[in-house]
Amino acid sequence: MGSTKLRGRALSEALWGYAMIGPTILLLVIFSYVALGASLGISFTDWHVLLPPHWVGLTNYINIFQDPLFLKGLWNTARYVLMSIPIGQSLALILALILNTNIRFRNFFRLVYFLPVLTMPVAIAVVWKWIYNPAFGPIAIFLQTVGLKPIIWLTNVKMAMWSIVFISVWAGIGYNMVIMLAGLQNIPREYYEAAEVDGASSLAKIFNITLPLLTPTLFFTLITSFINGLQMFDMVYVLTQGGPIDSTRTIVFQVYEDGVKSLYAGTSSAEAWVLFIIIMVITLVQFRIQRKWVYYE
Amino acid sequence: MGILRMNQAADNKTGLASNKVQSSRKKEDWKKIILILVLFVGGLLFLYPFLWMISTSLKDNVEVYTRPLALIPQIFKPANYQRAFTLVPFGRFYLNTIIMTLGRVCGQVLLAAMAAYSFARLKFPGKNFLFIMVLGVMMVPSMVSFIPRFIMMMKLGWLDTYWGLIIPGLGDAFGVFLLRQFFLTIPQDLIDASVMDGCNPFQTFLKVALPLSRAALAAYGFLVVLWTWNDFLWPLIIATRTKMLTISLGIQLFQNQYSQDIPAMMAAASISILPMTILFLFAQRYIIEGITMSGLKF
Repeated sequence: MGSTKLRGRALSEALWGYAMIGPTILLLVIFSYVALGASLGISFTDWHVLLPPHWVGLTNYINIFQDPLFLKGLWNTARYVLMSIPIGQSLALILALILNTNIRFRNFFRLVYFLPVLTMPVAIAVVWKWIYNPAFGPIAIFLQTVGLKPIIWLTNVKMAMWSIVFISVWAGIGYNMVIMLAGLQNIPREYYEAAEVDGASSLAKIFNITLPLLTPTLFFTLITSFINGLQMFDMVYVLTQGGPIDSTRTIVFQVYEDGVKSLYAGTSSAEAWVLFIIIMVITLVQFRIQRKWVYYE
Repeated sequence: MGILRMNQAADNKTGLASNKVQSSRKKEDWKKIILILVLFVGGLLFLYPFLWMISTSLKDNVEVYTRPLALIPQIFKPANYQRAFTLVPFGRFYLNTIIMTLGRVCGQVLLAAMAAYSFARLKFPGKNFLFIMVLGVMMVPSMVSFIPRFIMMMKLGWLDTYWGLIIPGLGDAFGVFLLRQFFLTIPQDLIDASVMDGCNPFQTFLKVALPLSRAALAAYGFLVVLWTWNDFLWPLIIATRTKMLTISLGIQLFQNQYSQDIPAMMAAASISILPMTILFLFAQRYIIEGITMSGLKF
């Protein structure tokens, strides 16, 4: 009697368990796993969405690596990541270190530096497009009043990528700063107290205590910055549409143009998979390298 | 007594070293002033684009092109805001964005919480396998599956519908993972008590688990609101007709069609930011907490 009742309860618990994860699992299977598999399958076909697909094997992969636009996208994405991440990470770290002391107006500064995180990237892009305007933008007017030549930002092949890097660093600092601040809060006070007894300078404390103990947090912000940076899209779409002369064309922009605009699902999926593999490899390599520099207590 | 003596001892010590302390304190003060100055200059760089946006949104269209550049408009033109709403149907974009955001946040938080509770507290065969399956999704950048999702939406006839904007995003692995961590910390006694009262697992979830994790739910909810409100790529794919655009797409549309009307464009940008800024001011603690938690993903 007792055991069947118990078994009945276990059964009902299991049924409830399945019922409660059901919707999430279903959605993830359809929109993530099936979609992922489908995109792999599609990448082996030459499929214009309005026509029937044909199996073409690796042709798409071979073709995209001979497509100057896609290669340009790879190169630009690499440039973007290598330019924005070192600058963004170090600035966020410096800010977090300063704001972690009991400095005056601390909360005000935190809010100010965090404001861009709340703002939609499109609004940021629209506003900055006018700040960058070489004739009427505030930067141009400022440069003129101090007697310098205005800089052409977004329509200049040399400056366009830097302009985008600058905005994304500006927009992303607050997010990394908050995560780093949380990491800093987690460092036990005792370490500093011990160092103070030994008469360590504040710089020595930063290099010998703060930074080593913050490395797990830095590892996290670095990894997410890479994953997000490699998928750069919004700013490019609004600010430059990949121009001038494709100097800001990123991989995701290329995926979007080929897939959603031109409806070449095969090419687009192959490009997306190349990006996926790049992201995986970079993340795995970072997990490998972390043993050398991330300090776990 | 003991404390008193210790204080005295400390006083003696500082008395002896008071000169040294004073000079080093002065040095500290200087350092702090310089740091605050640096923060102010940096802060200005962060605040200026927002000030400039609001100021321009209130200027006359001619004044935008005049010099010198003043942050306070000569003539205030709040009518720019009206124009932003009439040149393109911004009211409709707002409504669309609110519907999408509400649909997403309600659905996503509820589904993620249900799944998280199930993974955290219920026993059933295959649980570990299913949980690993959920975690696996977190590793895949969403854009890899974009094209098939776009095609699915096309075949389902969900382009230009709220279904298309809301439903594909409802399954969120990150939310499941995050909330599971919280449900794991609920004391077993409370759950047992509720079972004794004859509650089934779902009732226990509703009556015990949810009320106890309000802070976590709020933090996660705010993150979902922020992400959905600011989302660009997915609406760009789903919404093609003007009446289904969201605010972020509306701003882009505005820029394409009326790029000369800068004050109205800045007005549009300003009102897109307003709700999130207000929400942030009211719920700062939760949002920071949420972002901090999202930093504990690994």
